[in-house]
Amino acid sequence: MIERTPILNAITHVIMLIGVVVAVLPIAVVFIASTHDFRTVNMVPMPLWPGDQFFENYARVWEKADFGAKMINSLIVAVGVTAGKIVIAALSAFAIVYFKYRLRMVFFWLIFITLMLPLEVRIVPTYAVVADTLSPFRTILDFLGLPLFVPEVNLLNTYTGLILPLVATATGTFLYRQFFLTIPDELAEAAKMDGAGPIRFFLEVLIPLSKTNMAALATIMFVYAWNQYLWPLLVVTDQDMATATMQLKKIVPGPLFGQPPIWNEAMAATLLVMIPPLLVVIFMQGYFVRGLVNTDK
Amino acid sequence: MDKRVTFKSLWLAGALIAPQMLLVFVFFYWPASQAFYWAFTTQPPFGGVNEWVGLQNFREIFADRVYWNSVQVSVLFAVASTTLSIVMSLVLAVAVDRQLTGYRTYRFVLFWPYAIAAPAVGLAFRFIFAPQAGFMAALNDAFPGLWNPAVNGGHAMALIVFANSWKMVAYNFIFFLAGLQSIPRSLLEAAAMDGSSVVRRVFDIQLPLLAPTFFFLLVINITETFVDSFGIVDITTGGGPARATDLMVFKIYSDGFKALDYSMAAAQSIVLMTLVVCLTFIQFRFVERKIHYK
Amino acid sequence: MQIKSLFAGAATLLALASAGSAEAQNRIKFDYWYGLTGQLGEIMEAHCKRFNESQTKYEAVCVGQGGYDTAEQNTIAAYRSRQHPTLVQIYDAGTVNFMLSGAIYPANKLVDDFKLNVDWKDYFPGVANYYATSKGDMWSFPYNSSTALMYWNKDAWAKIGKTTAPATIEEWFGDLRKMKAAGVECAFAFDYDTWMPLEQFSAIHNQPIATKNNGYDGLDAELVFNKTKFADYMKDWKKLLDEGVARIQTAQVGKTALQAFSDGSCASFLSSVASHGVVQATAVPTLNWGLAMLPVYEGFTRQNSLVGGASLWIMSGKSQQEYEAAAAYLQFIAKADEALWMSTVTGYIPITNSAFKFLNEVGFYNNPKFAGRELAIQSLTATPPSPLSRGIRLGNFTQIRAEIRSELEAAFTGRKDMQVALDDAAARGNQILRRFEQTMRGRQLP
Repeated sequence: MIERTPILNAITHVIMLIGVVVAVLPIAVVFIASTHDFRTVNMVPMPLWPGDQFFENYARVWEKADFGAKMINSLIVAVGVTAGKIVIAALSAFAIVYFKYRLRMVFFWLIFITLMLPLEVRIVPTYAVVADTLSPFRTILDFLGLPLFVPEVNLLNTYTGLILPLVATATGTFLYRQFFLTIPDELAEAAKMDGAGPIRFFLEVLIPLSKTNMAALATIMFVYAWNQYLWPLLVVTDQDMATATMQLKKIVPGPLFGQPPIWNEAMAATLLVMIPPLLVVIFMQGYFVRGLVNTDK
Repeated sequence: MDKRVTFKSLWLAGALIAPQMLLVFVFFYWPASQAFYWAFTTQPPFGGVNEWVGLQNFREIFADRVYWNSVQVSVLFAVASTTLSIVMSLVLAVAVDRQLTGYRTYRFVLFWPYAIAAPAVGLAFRFIFAPQAGFMAALNDAFPGLWNPAVNGGHAMALIVFANSWKMVAYNFIFFLAGLQSIPRSLLEAAAMDGSSVVRRVFDIQLPLLAPTFFFLLVINITETFVDSFGIVDITTGGGPARATDLMVFKIYSDGFKALDYSMAAAQSIVLMTLVVCLTFIQFRFVERKIHYK
Repeated sequence: MQIKSLFAGAATLLALASAGSAEAQNRIKFDYWYGLTGQLGEIMEAHCKRFNESQTKYEAVCVGQGGYDTAEQNTIAAYRSRQHPTLVQIYDAGTVNFMLSGAIYPANKLVDDFKLNVDWKDYFPGVANYYATSKGDMWSFPYNSSTALMYWNKDAWAKIGKTTAPATIEEWFGDLRKMKAAGVECAFAFDYDTWMPLEQFSAIHNQPIATKNNGYDGLDAELVFNKTKFADYMKDWKKLLDEGVARIQTAQVGKTALQAFSDGSCASFLSSVASHGVVQATAVPTLNWGLAMLPVYEGFTRQNSLVGGASLWIMSGKSQQEYEAAAAYLQFIAKADEALWMSTVTGYIPITNSAFKFLNEVGFYNNPKFAGRELAIQSLTATPPSPLSRGIRLGNFTQIRAEIRSELEAAFTGRKDMQVALDDAAARGNQILRRFEQTMRGRQLP
């Protein structure tokens, strides 16, 4: 940044280049596979040079999977999950770090444990909840002997049903907690002395400071939500609500007898589905800027 | 870790945390509690009468040497792939953070692996690492028997560790980079002015200040490798050869999702969860102690 | 003026739109979930479309579930919340679960209730029995079906001066060894899948896989495959492997057995007839190959082979109208024309005598593209099914397959003696069966 360090710079470049090669090599294989015809992609070994079927494969897959409309669905879901997570996680982390009460750590662990039980195990009961979202409350009221009417809310085939269960995890809360803990106490003291309440402190001090971390979280969460397929496959039966990754899952051949392995199309679809997340990364890069705010003591 | 300065308003704290707790309750704890109940019963796939069997499912698990094998395999996998991916991503993030020419491109490209969907990764890795057909085939021609994950369990483990790390490096890289960029420039400039070299600054300033991020990623990586690595195994080794890569979560998935033995899957999940909770608790207890948040 | 015409235009459009949707609404809809993916998934979709275009009364709403296992799982999740489809495609291994589920509307009952024109006798017995109760009532409609065949490289066999495929296993193994001596590097490719060596082999040799007639007569069946001819068969394979005559070809190695056969590097492999089209589409142009029935050990008479694939189940708890629509769909896909279409666009086989006759009449099997596939029907109908060759009715069979697979991996990679491995596989499989029996306590196989 300041001094000249040619040898170190060379080493740095070599490290980054190696990283890039390792990162790109498998993707290059995917790309090469997506440009061949059906017979060539199934040759062993597959040629290491791109074929001439690029446009044919991509156009065919685009149409077949109706990616135009499905990507809009994916976008809505991914943005919904990302926004929901960023906001809700920030609020809960704030409540855990900056307030002192007995249940604080209990809440933290209750949120944290959600990371530790695989979705596959609870997918059947979770489906039941989404099909009748207020059922937990109805059951509790019934148990308490309170005969209040609780309507049936069916979130299957809705954006809400796709988004909400994915928002309910702990990664965000944990990340914010880690970051909030690094923020010097003096800032909060100063804010208090200025007569700022917790909400003003949160909005005017914490949020601006968290920008880079929020950008990182948003990037990761967007991709995470974008790539979900197990949950959407279960909740969506209406083709108008299908997401892009669901379509991808339908194109990829399964390990079945008599399954023509159309890997060229599957790979083309994979790369198409990957484009929006990459655009998000480009967009988010703007927030990865060093040292805008000085948090020095 | 406690803040010295805190706010008092309890109802506000409650209101702030309420949305998260509500979601977690409805979409996690309520369904999960049902799955927990199954662990102590035998649950037919389509529902109906289930029989209370107490701890029978757990006894069966613990009496099974194949299960213990999967525990062993999972721990090895978690340790190896967490170490590999954290070290690699840290090195890369520090390198990119120096903001030399072209760092934007590197930063962009290094994120790709996380964006790509799992089936494609499987095919690519199969192609690259297949002993007879891919890039490794050339090496095998030169040194016969050097690499064969289809026969050698150690090689198969190396393969899934590598495939998983490949993806997680991208994930970790983003957070490390964000962490590095939150370190104020003035701090580094001041150190530079004092004559501290680039490498010195990495060890004296950047790494210590990165500790909270490091802790976050350590916990998340270990958890993810235990809980969320079904896909990688399924598309590369299928748990083989001869159960050498039969991870706990892979077993849960095949018992519960493919074979529809919900009770067994639930019981195994409780074991897995207990294990991960303990590991996390240990990390909070002993690793976080060493972290200075300021 | 302009505004007026604009209004008129809008009104016409509106009228048209509502007319269109009125027609769509008048159609009786039913939900149908299928498991196949990739190109076969598209064919499932196309089949629905053919139905919807063939008439105006009903509409099949078809939804791909992204895999056989997810289709089964999703149906269960949906059933538990009363959101399930009327019709669902379930693979062969899921048959037991659906029979015991109490969640289905048996096919034979639907046929009786709606007076459908279905001749149960028309189905090949080998197909019908697989999906039938122990009393012979069919509870689901067989759909995409296949059976196992041997694929052999004619040029490789020519090197040892033979022009016909081996009929017995002894002859086959002899040929393989001669080919090896004649310079064929890989005479036979196999993987760890149990469908060919265990399930099909046991059927055509009339060997039991489990007691109680392979489970048809009760949930308390026990696995016995480790003590049958199958154990010898596996030991023979291991010998071939050790002699360098045969090779293991899996995706993990880099080439599946099918790929190794298609590119000419291995001279024979066993697979489903449904792979016929795949080999055709991927084979190197010079490959000179053919199909043959699975060979049989000397001293055994060939029994019928087993059907594989999936069947269509009707779920309970739907409206009369939905059943009526689903019934129309089932009648539609059973037509001979549709069987011809399915056989043309996939490698699946016709499953009724009349459809097979129709395919013969239109010269389907004279077409070089499909020639040889009639061997699948020959194999499937070689004899009337015996109590051991009608099918396998074991709980959690997918898990049992996985256990056997793991043990075979251990044996073929030299970590375990073959007999020990098979004994272990049977012991572990029996634990799975006992668990299943306990989970289903109080229920009887129909």
